[in-house]
Amino acid sequence: MTDDRPILALIPGDPTGIGPELTARILAEGKLADVARFVVVGDRRVLERGARFAGVTLEIAEVASPAAARFDGPVQLVDLGNTDPDALPLGEADAEAGRLTGETLARAIEFALAGDVEAITFAPLNKRALYDGGWRFPDEHKMFAHLLGHAGQFSEMNVLDGLWMTRVTSHVALREALDQITEARIVDALHLADRTMKGAGIDAPRIAVAALNPHGGEGGLFGREEIDIIAPAVERARAEGIDCRGPFPSDTVYLKAFRGEVDSVLAMYHDQGQIATKVRGFMKGVTITAGLDTVFTTPAHGTAYDIVGQGTADTGATEAAIRLSARLAARRRAEALEPQGM
Amino acid sequence: MSGAPRPPAQAGSAPAAKPLALTCGEPAGIGPEIAARAWETLGARLPFVWIGDPAHLPRGTPVREVTHPSEAPRVAASALPVLRHAFPAPAAPGRPEAGNAAEVIAVIARAVRLAQEGAVAGLVTGPIHKKALQEGAGFSYPGHTEYLAALAGVDRVVMMLACEHLRVVPATIHVPLAEVPHLLTRDVLMQTIRLTHAGLRRDFGISVPRIAVAGLNPHAGEGGAMGREEIETITPVLEALRAEGLVLSGPLSADTMFHAAARAHYDAAVCMYHDQALIPIKTIDFAGGVNVTLGLPFVRTSPDHGTAFDIAGQGRADPTSLIAALHMAERMAHARRAA
Repeated sequence: MTDDRPILALIPGDPTGIGPELTARILAEGKLADVARFVVVGDRRVLERGARFAGVTLEIAEVASPAAARFDGPVQLVDLGNTDPDALPLGEADAEAGRLTGETLARAIEFALAGDVEAITFAPLNKRALYDGGWRFPDEHKMFAHLLGHAGQFSEMNVLDGLWMTRVTSHVALREALDQITEARIVDALHLADRTMKGAGIDAPRIAVAALNPHGGEGGLFGREEIDIIAPAVERARAEGIDCRGPFPSDTVYLKAFRGEVDSVLAMYHDQGQIATKVRGFMKGVTITAGLDTVFTTPAHGTAYDIVGQGTADTGATEAAIRLSARLAARRRAEALEPQGM
Repeated sequence: MSGAPRPPAQAGSAPAAKPLALTCGEPAGIGPEIAARAWETLGARLPFVWIGDPAHLPRGTPVREVTHPSEAPRVAASALPVLRHAFPAPAAPGRPEAGNAAEVIAVIARAVRLAQEGAVAGLVTGPIHKKALQEGAGFSYPGHTEYLAALAGVDRVVMMLACEHLRVVPATIHVPLAEVPHLLTRDVLMQTIRLTHAGLRRDFGISVPRIAVAGLNPHAGEGGAMGREEIETITPVLEALRAEGLVLSGPLSADTMFHAAARAHYDAAVCMYHDQALIPIKTIDFAGGVNVTLGLPFVRTSPDHGTAFDIAGQGRADPTSLIAALHMAERMAHARRAA
């Protein structure tokens, strides 16, 4: 019988944070073995120290590449030998740790480009450390797109309990975000969200679109973007087959999603989306990079420097990230295998 | 979040507290019906006098007309105490009468006079419809709050939204988001924080208020990488006010300052724009939010919703926010008396 579980690269994340202990605990418990075949890409010393922190034992087998992995026994590790965790400050954002985290991710991306892994799930990293370590991107999603040579559209999405939150603009100054909100970008973002959710098995995604101004602009009294940009974009996307509605005032649009009236909300700017979702516990959720050829998922929470090394970090969000990665990868494979013309 | 001391459950031998005044607001909206519902819930436990035309109240509401607010606590056990204010026209749900507009405004002015005379402990205002007042009576104020400030002879007030778990104050309010970066000057921010600080002391009984201040940009600008307003405007204001002894944190990343653990560290959050303040409070407590005006010589609260013309007169309107506004006004009045 063939093994059709997707092959997933698991990255321990920033070595100064809780990532390695999360990774070690999940591998030791083995309870996700039914959803994916894992290859850890990273440094053996980092994974072993994570296991110590988590209070678990791992049997590790080193392989030269994921292509050489055998998935019936010990943890399969591509040991990059690049990171000595004891030389880095534990529980702090550190530029060298950021540089090495980026380097490790870059190696995993090479394996994905070679077709040796089908998806990448990474334990928490620190954006600041990554940037200070020389990976000059405002977030990891832009870094992935760059390393993949991806020219088209992509976006971060935040997923929790079947809700998929996304936004038109991301890690830019509010002034710049305002300039970047155009009809074309909104329509593209709606298509991307629709496509990504369908790729995760949601057959008819319903999307609510947030307004930009207070009270949705109140008929043009507090701004005209709703009238001039957002409403026409929603109309166009609807005409192109997307089940989207709006613009809705942003102080209550997320409540529609939390009540189950829609599957997704498209925000216009970072804080508009992140305030409601984080209040609602999306830190327990998953962040994915939508629109790239490689599937990337990560827990939405951060490196939790305050509890590093105690073995108490909750693996829930990372487990959810792995499950989502596996689901997206499995469906991609199924679609690729479908006969042409279907 | 540390709140005001609660009034004692038993009044004991202390003189009876004055009632609150509740204005009718737009009679074609849900104001009258939620007033009747609030009285049903609160009765004599939290006495208020409703100012308006009794003919606008839902049929069957037990009403007792009074000639002075001081009679309200006595009658509130058995009927809604009403200070009659005659309107020229009946109220048609959802369709404001132009002829009633001048009286909607006059009721507000009358309530302010009662507050200024000390006849009521504070003011709770029913929702008005700005456009109806503009068209019916040439009302020229941008809103309720500005009109109250003008009546009280005050230059600047701030709007606070409060629920049990969070208080927020937007530094800019009903303006296009694109104008916010220009409107957000050091002066505006400084006044907003000062009024918030003074209001927390006077109206909420918090002797050393802790105020959290949000950044404007994602991750509060991340050291200038994503916007410079934090460096050029917000931080200098915070430094100047800290030098005066105010306890301030910020500029904070707006997306991580509103979850329960973060909220434990402050008494109010000053936000840079409307939705930055409204999104968290609506997400935390959709129905129970109260609008509070800080900086007036009297206590003023209002429910955090509008006239809801679409459901007016159907008996479906939810009085939760009005009841919360009455409770909040009572606590604020108590804090002022205790000061």
